[in-house]
Amino acid sequence: MTRYVMVIDQRRCIGCHSCTVACRTWNKLPLDIIYNPVVTEGAQGTWPHVHKSWTPLLCMHCENPECVPCCPSGASQQDPDGTVWVDPKKCLSCKVCVNACPYGMRDASHLESRLHRFVRKCTFCRDKRQLDPDAQPYCVLTCHQKARVFGDLDDPESEVSKLIGSVKTERLFEEFGTEPQIYYIPELGGKA
Amino acid sequence: MEISKTSTGLKDILCPDTESTEVDIHADGVEMIKSLCYFCHANCGVLAYVKDGDVIKIEGDPNYSSQGGLCCRGTSALLHVNHPARINHALKRVGEKGEGKWEQIDYDQAIQEVADRLNQIKAESGAEAVASAGGTTRTDDWARRRFLNQFGTPNGFHNALLCWIPTFMAETCVAGWSPFETDLGGAKSLILWGMNPGASTLGGMHGYTDLQKAGLKIIMVDPRYSETASKADLWLPLRPGSDAALALAMLHTIVYGGMADYDFIGKWCDGFDDLMDHLAQYSPEWAAPITWLEPEQIRQAAMMYATNKPGCIQWGCTWDQIGRASTTGSHAIALLRAVTGNLDVPGGDGMPGPALNFLTDEELELNECLPEEQKAKQISRYKLTSWPGYQIISDTARRTWGKTLPTEWFCEAHGPSVFKAILTGDPYQVRALICNATNPVNSYGDAKMTLAALKACEFLVVVDYWMTPTALFADYVFPAAGALERPTIVTHYGATDSLMGGRRAIQPKFDRHTDMVFWRKLGLACGQDPANWPWETEEEAYYEVLKGIGLPVSNYNEFVDNVRMYYPPLHQSKFEKNGGFWTPSGKVELNSTIMRQLGFPGMPTYIGTIENPIDTPELLDEYPIVLTTGGGFMPYHHSEHFQMQGIRYLYPDPYFSINPELAEKLDIEYGDWCWIETRRGRIKMRANVEPEVDPRVVFAPRGWWFPERDGSADLDNPFGCLESNVNTLTSVDEEHCDPMGGSWANRGLLCKVYKCTELDHEFKPEDAQFSIPGSVAEPGIHEMPSSRPLAREEIPFEMPQYEGGEVPEGYDWVWQNNTLYQKGTNYKLDASGWLINPRNKAYYDAYTGWRYDAGEECLVDDETGKRYTMDREEIKYMGAYRLYPGAEAPYAVPEQLVWKEEGYATLPGRDELIYDSNSGWLVDPATNVYYDAYYGWAYDPTANCLIDMATGKRYTMEYQEMAE
Amino acid sequence: MKHHYWEPPIALYLFLGGLAGGILFLSAVFNTFVVPGFAEVFAMPVLVSLVCIAIGCVFLVIDLGQPGVFWRVWTTATSIIKWGATFLVIAAVFALLFFLAYLGDAWPIFAGLSDLLKPAAGFFLGVAGFFGLCIMMYTGIMLSTLKAHAFWATPALPVLFTVSAISTGCAAVVLSIGGWPAEVTLGTLIVSEVVLEILHVVDIILVITEFIILMTMVLSFLGAGNVTAKKAAKRWVCGSYAPLFWIGMVLVGLVIPFALYVGGSGAASQLVAPILVLIGGCLLRFLVVNTDDRAPIPGEIRYYERVAKPDAEFVHKWTYGENIF
Repeated sequence: MTRYVMVIDQRRCIGCHSCTVACRTWNKLPLDIIYNPVVTEGAQGTWPHVHKSWTPLLCMHCENPECVPCCPSGASQQDPDGTVWVDPKKCLSCKVCVNACPYGMRDASHLESRLHRFVRKCTFCRDKRQLDPDAQPYCVLTCHQKARVFGDLDDPESEVSKLIGSVKTERLFEEFGTEPQIYYIPELGGKA
Repeated sequence: MEISKTSTGLKDILCPDTESTEVDIHADGVEMIKSLCYFCHANCGVLAYVKDGDVIKIEGDPNYSSQGGLCCRGTSALLHVNHPARINHALKRVGEKGEGKWEQIDYDQAIQEVADRLNQIKAESGAEAVASAGGTTRTDDWARRRFLNQFGTPNGFHNALLCWIPTFMAETCVAGWSPFETDLGGAKSLILWGMNPGASTLGGMHGYTDLQKAGLKIIMVDPRYSETASKADLWLPLRPGSDAALALAMLHTIVYGGMADYDFIGKWCDGFDDLMDHLAQYSPEWAAPITWLEPEQIRQAAMMYATNKPGCIQWGCTWDQIGRASTTGSHAIALLRAVTGNLDVPGGDGMPGPALNFLTDEELELNECLPEEQKAKQISRYKLTSWPGYQIISDTARRTWGKTLPTEWFCEAHGPSVFKAILTGDPYQVRALICNATNPVNSYGDAKMTLAALKACEFLVVVDYWMTPTALFADYVFPAAGALERPTIVTHYGATDSLMGGRRAIQPKFDRHTDMVFWRKLGLACGQDPANWPWETEEEAYYEVLKGIGLPVSNYNEFVDNVRMYYPPLHQSKFEKNGGFWTPSGKVELNSTIMRQLGFPGMPTYIGTIENPIDTPELLDEYPIVLTTGGGFMPYHHSEHFQMQGIRYLYPDPYFSINPELAEKLDIEYGDWCWIETRRGRIKMRANVEPEVDPRVVFAPRGWWFPERDGSADLDNPFGCLESNVNTLTSVDEEHCDPMGGSWANRGLLCKVYKCTELDHEFKPEDAQFSIPGSVAEPGIHEMPSSRPLAREEIPFEMPQYEGGEVPEGYDWVWQNNTLYQKGTNYKLDASGWLINPRNKAYYDAYTGWRYDAGEECLVDDETGKRYTMDREEIKYMGAYRLYPGAEAPYAVPEQLVWKEEGYATLPGRDELIYDSNSGWLVDPATNVYYDAYYGWAYDPTANCLIDMATGKRYTMEYQEMAE
Repeated sequence: MKHHYWEPPIALYLFLGGLAGGILFLSAVFNTFVVPGFAEVFAMPVLVSLVCIAIGCVFLVIDLGQPGVFWRVWTTATSIIKWGATFLVIAAVFALLFFLAYLGDAWPIFAGLSDLLKPAAGFFLGVAGFFGLCIMMYTGIMLSTLKAHAFWATPALPVLFTVSAISTGCAAVVLSIGGWPAEVTLGTLIVSEVVLEILHVVDIILVITEFIILMTMVLSFLGAGNVTAKKAAKRWVCGSYAPLFWIGMVLVGLVIPFALYVGGSGAASQLVAPILVLIGGCLLRFLVVNTDDRAPIPGEIRYYERVAKPDAEFVHKWTYGENIF
């Protein structure tokens, strides 16, 4: 089996927004849709003893997604490889999934034609992987810092498996029981 | 933005048909072209997928040095090429200036009209009345200079003075080249000084962490808590603009703390005692109140750098932007590298020198076309970076390296002075300005004055991608071809020795043309010699550039396809092989002779920023906060990309950084619109309340304008180009500029910050009033620029006299090393009476210029290929075989042969053959067939036998006749 | 933070759906257990519920991004929304049948149809009432399953919504009982009066109950450990929602109607109080739907504050495909 996950190394991320723009450019997203915002609280602490880190976000492609069972039309679904995606042909855009997601990673655009709005979200570049099974998501390819690593968690030889096995990783909002599949290597506050 | 196929038939409403928009790069007919990004200097690798003559997709090139990475800008290239607001046709103004009424005309017709007008201005006012402005590297600058030199004007300029050039010149004065290559793998310490690779050069940031693990110590000098600062071993958050004081105090600590590299200094440096005396005054205790650092921090930094060797200091551009203290700082930093012996050593600051095996930009500029009297008219009072300083530095480079720096960037008019000349006619009236790849309102200092100059300019031509605030006032706007539409070559002007390239993915769209084509067409239309414009396309020119490397390629595209990156091996410790550094004295000059010759102090002498709490305490009441401006910030580059909606969406408004402590005092909350005001003007930005700056400092990013607005609607502030533009706050007054390099005052200014109120929220016409000198209180022109003093008076310098009386004709005398150099070639006249070529260290005959060939003990004229004896008589050859006419045979001649008076031996009657003393055979030089030296029979190598050509008989090698 | 994905039409739909459910539920209960035999007095309330369902559905469907695909709602098994839609349709169909059974009393043209349907009218209303109850519960359960939203994910919410739905249903029945198409007879007048008297008491109880549940929910959130819920509750109690909450919902929607029910008479208790209850119920849905606070990921709020708004000038300035110069 294949289980796609992403490991994000916050020790490397410097908040350049390249992934955000690469994603929206090549997935041809409306301007108000951002699949992978890179957020920061800004420098923390008291000058000059300050610290700053960035959190690149994207759909967590949860093992136990909140957004799939709630969908009334079957548009919101999950592939066997873990990819959670929305079929735009089926989506009513009732936005119940949007409200179900604890990470705020879905939305429908307000800039598209009023009668053809559907819920959009990160698909780990599913369309691209359908054309080329070995393809990497755009956000991973474009990252100068190599802060994002994408791969198959079920393959013990993959880089993601090795990273998750060797470095301390964290996941966001595990308390919701969603089993998110984006693993963060936290910024430790200094040298890696 | 077209997102998906959406239509409105009933079926589409009930069962919408939304197809994947993914582009299949593996489909038939899709070609992959290796290109390069063209949105900043990093020029990351791009793979462009082209179908039917159009790019359908781009990706980062994983096999290029950028490892597949592309930032916001690079990844938007396709949206840039097709952006609806791009200029696509030549535009001629039909309304009033700034009215925004244009007529699309044919490109060549526009070129001819512009050329006619320029020629007319040249005839009336001289070529120097035409100037040309550039921004940062976003064009083929050499082509521009090639045009300007042939046209005869010295007044080309960039923002070069804010970016690396004064530093380069100061460093070259000290050590003979700018040490700007790093060898981080071998380094033990690294100073990132005023540099934030986390935001400006993403490729560079990658890997610091790994190196740090391996023991590299990183010292960060930045007044802002930048992306890179948290990773540093030591962070020095100094007061903005106090870099010179910090560098001087670090020097003091190293020199007086016994941490200098005395072996290196003793062997390779000059003037150490002078320097030691000079530095006595600059103790860490002296620097502490200026820099806001503790003396202990300064000592610690100096010790970390000096005791973890080799170390390198990576160049940032900040210290070039401090105004009058700029070159003092970079000069002191250059000395830091020198006294620690980190120059040109493995792991230290690499000094690549000019590219010796491919053409540098200088070799493409035709600088010899510019007459001396025109050089003297260059508008700049800042000698280090204009013709007076350039000439000395360039001559030195030719004499030491054998090649020199380009005049673009390194020898330029002073931009703000040219703008003032447009407004004041001082020193003379500049009538025409060609802006190529720049939007001066946003990128040059004193934006209000610059905007006024652009409006006042009699004839303004703009070559650009966009309708910028500058283009709005143009008489002609030319469409520029950009990324993907042009090939790209990365040579760093030839100031280093590596070379990288990318192909053009598509021909320019619409009537867009590349900049080289623009300058070439304009040159030809002005009547310049077509022989001086031999290349119709960049590909042809670039192939000419790289030909000298000798790679097995026959055109530029082939180079990109097969080679793409040419990195010669690192040449380190060259000064040992060279027997010295590349300065006039051959030593690292700790008390620079070139600086002194130009009337500057030979050692860095402290001067503060134009406004600071110590030198101008009277300003503190009104302007209590230190302002630092500039600083690259993602996702923009300078004043570019504000039109790119996908990028702009992430950062729609300008934000300045303010510490929460100060914000609380000023009752400012996150996101509030605030006025930032200096003595010269005010702008508004939103508050980013964040402790990334000192509570006494605010940081404002550069570049802001609003291309979505109607520029013509408000000509006081077109496209909002003044209201959030930090250059409205900066100063270009003569005494505020660096007296050496001319850099104007961008950083370390004093300001006040207050919230926009309901009544005071709009940028008003009175906020847009310009003044010379810059002052918010008194609009208008109050003083001629040339009557203003510079920040430092010139120190008179008396050149020593040549001891031998007259300098021999055809030679220049360099007083520092008391050596004569041949004019033209710049070869050194050796004590032996021979000339020495600095590039290959070969000896040349001082009279003829012929090279001495030690192997053959002869002279060679490299131009004609002819060889001469040591008595300068031409050596004759029969084919490849040397003749010795009229002489004794220089080798033993077998007795069966005869000596001909033409100078060779042969069999009697076989004059066409020549005896080869090395092999003992006769040779026919015409056919290279060997003949037996006894019988004259030809040798047949296939059958290994001899043939008597007269009879056709065959003989064995033992002269036995062979059966038929 | 990105939120407020559900806009006013959804709040209105939830209100109208609950209201319709409440009307049907009460009508069925009264018709079956309290005053059997006078079903025609409930024709008007059922009509009101039908109108509510119709308007609510229109709001729901027009709020969809692809309304044409609405039919797909019945293609899945798990979603709660699917159940909601099903309840709505069944309730609406049986309510309509019930209404048609009495429409003939006023419009003879329907007399034949009404005669046909009348024998089963009580059954129709019973079924509609049962599914009306389902609707009331569904609106609250649907929100409370969206556990990303701390203010919704509480068992108190479905109870609150159900009580409020019955309460608003009460108010609507009070306002509409015995109306057209029922003929005014002594019987209907008496029955109406009996029902009104009972409803008067019922609604007093409901208003008190709703007040208790509301205050329990809001105030327990205010003291709760959940930061997000606490922040939201703070907004209700002493933040930006406080005027709407205290004056609109508590005072106008609960306290004043209670006072009028108890102390007032005539128009004050039979007209003004029910209308205020309806306003209060509507406000409740708006405030709750708007209180869709998620636990923010650190930095998320700052990020979305800084990015552009979809109506920014540069967003609409350029359209790819056009060429200006």
